[in-house]
Amino acid sequence: MDEIIRYFFDFSRLSGYWPDILHGFLITVEMSILTVAIGIPLGLLLAVLRLYGIRPLNALIIFYIDLFRSIPQLVLIILAYFALPFSGLVLSPFTATVVALSMVLSAFAEEIFWAGITSVPKGQWEAGRSTGLGFNQTLAYVVLPQAIRLGIPPLTNRAIGISKGTTLGSVVAVPELLNVTSSIQSNVANPTALTVGAMLFLALFLPFVRFTRWLERAYGHPRH
Amino acid sequence: MTATANGTDAARDIVVIKDLRKSFGNVEVLKGIDLAVAAGEAVVIVGSSGSGKSTCLRCINRLEEPTGGRITVGGQEITGRKVDLNALRRRIGMVFQGINLYPHMTALGNVTLAMRKVAGLSKAAAEEKARHHLDLVGLAHRADAYPAQLSGGQQQRVGIARAMALEPQVMLFDEPTSALDPELVGEVLNVMMRTKQLGMTMIVVTHEMQFAREVADRVVFMDEGKVLDVGTPHEILVEPRHQRIRDFVNRTRT
Ligand SMILES: Nc1ncnc2c1ncn2[C@@H]1O[C@H](COP(=O)(O)OP(=O)(O)O)[C@@H](O)[C@H]1O
Ligand SMILES: [Mg+2]
Repeated sequence: MDEIIRYFFDFSRLSGYWPDILHGFLITVEMSILTVAIGIPLGLLLAVLRLYGIRPLNALIIFYIDLFRSIPQLVLIILAYFALPFSGLVLSPFTATVVALSMVLSAFAEEIFWAGITSVPKGQWEAGRSTGLGFNQTLAYVVLPQAIRLGIPPLTNRAIGISKGTTLGSVVAVPELLNVTSSIQSNVANPTALTVGAMLFLALFLPFVRFTRWLERAYGHPRH
Repeated sequence: MTATANGTDAARDIVVIKDLRKSFGNVEVLKGIDLAVAAGEAVVIVGSSGSGKSTCLRCINRLEEPTGGRITVGGQEITGRKVDLNALRRRIGMVFQGINLYPHMTALGNVTLAMRKVAGLSKAAAEEKARHHLDLVGLAHRADAYPAQLSGGQQQRVGIARAMALEPQVMLFDEPTSALDPELVGEVLNVMMRTKQLGMTMIVVTHEMQFAREVADRVVFMDEGKVLDVGTPHEILVEPRHQRIRDFVNRTRT
């Protein structure tokens, strides 16, 4: 038992690697934040556009969300990095990963926002419009606040799930946390780096997971 | 020119409906409605479920698009493509059976939203006026409550304040008490009676026959998409001239 603990927590083996680990951690944090900061607003924009009921546009939006919800994230990252250059678009590994993940998140976010918007009762629209508020005003002040509130718990879950996909960036050699720590592991033939990696992932995602729990409790039984 | 049934002249008519028709698909639910409502008048529309009362009311602020006929409100044509719908609707208050308060806003927020975003009042001016209107419905002390913290009757009174605060030319009420527990109906009807006393022009769809008898200047009886009869509450509800109305009155008498 002692043996095992010493094996997994042998921090002496990591001297000199700490800057790399920190750098990997920061890249993971950056990619996660960018994925959420691009994916969720993009999803909201798509849901709102879909509301205008422009047929060809809606067909495109639905194609987009179905596509990005069905392709595995790993495949998308590889495509973004290795296939897009053939169409003249060369992305860095970092950018390719963020683009792929935020598109996936935007597709799921669109579905969540859309479900939220359509579950706001028709009477809310009618109340707003009957007081002279325009379509966009009713959407902005009456419908979206309710739709977003409904969407927050499932959105946070999705955002966490997809942000964890930043680890997939290692396939295109993004020096993110998992990539860094697993290569240190093979360099020094000791898994302590992975232990550190796991703890850092925990430090990054656990607060979010707790936040969702809190949200679910706060919004699970709507008080107003 | 046309005269309303109680003899007022057309110049004082706030709402004039001529040969209003509405079809859903190929089902015609309004088959040529004619009605003129004078300033300050309270007209109550009664009739069995499905006779087209709501549809008629909703055509007046174009929540439903009429398929034929003409409607003017305050002398202005409201049908046709060039009409500024939002400006039109601001002049027409509506109170819903489903109440439809905004659940994420306080009573005050519900009342001030359109005052600020449509009428363009400053926050302070809107709030001051909104408090006045909440006071008129007896809810000044609940200004900061969310709809879920209010009883159904209180919610509907906020709904009335929300519409009244825009100082409309006419108020439309579509079964405002039908969704309420019986013991909460009275407070809403009282507020409506006071609204009438303030001189507001009102068109009310309701099944509250006592309210119709006491408050209505005229009662309209709708039947299968047509106006079967119009008259004083006494003429329509006490000594009906038509067998169908007699049947209806007997059914609703409690
Ligand atoms: N949006 C709609 N689509 C199709 N039919 C409708 C719609 N709204 C109302 N109707 C029909 O129009 C008729 C009149 O309805 P309504 O005006 O609600 O009657 P009332 O308010 O007198 O009960 C009913 O037969 C109803 O089913
Ligand atoms: Mg109705």
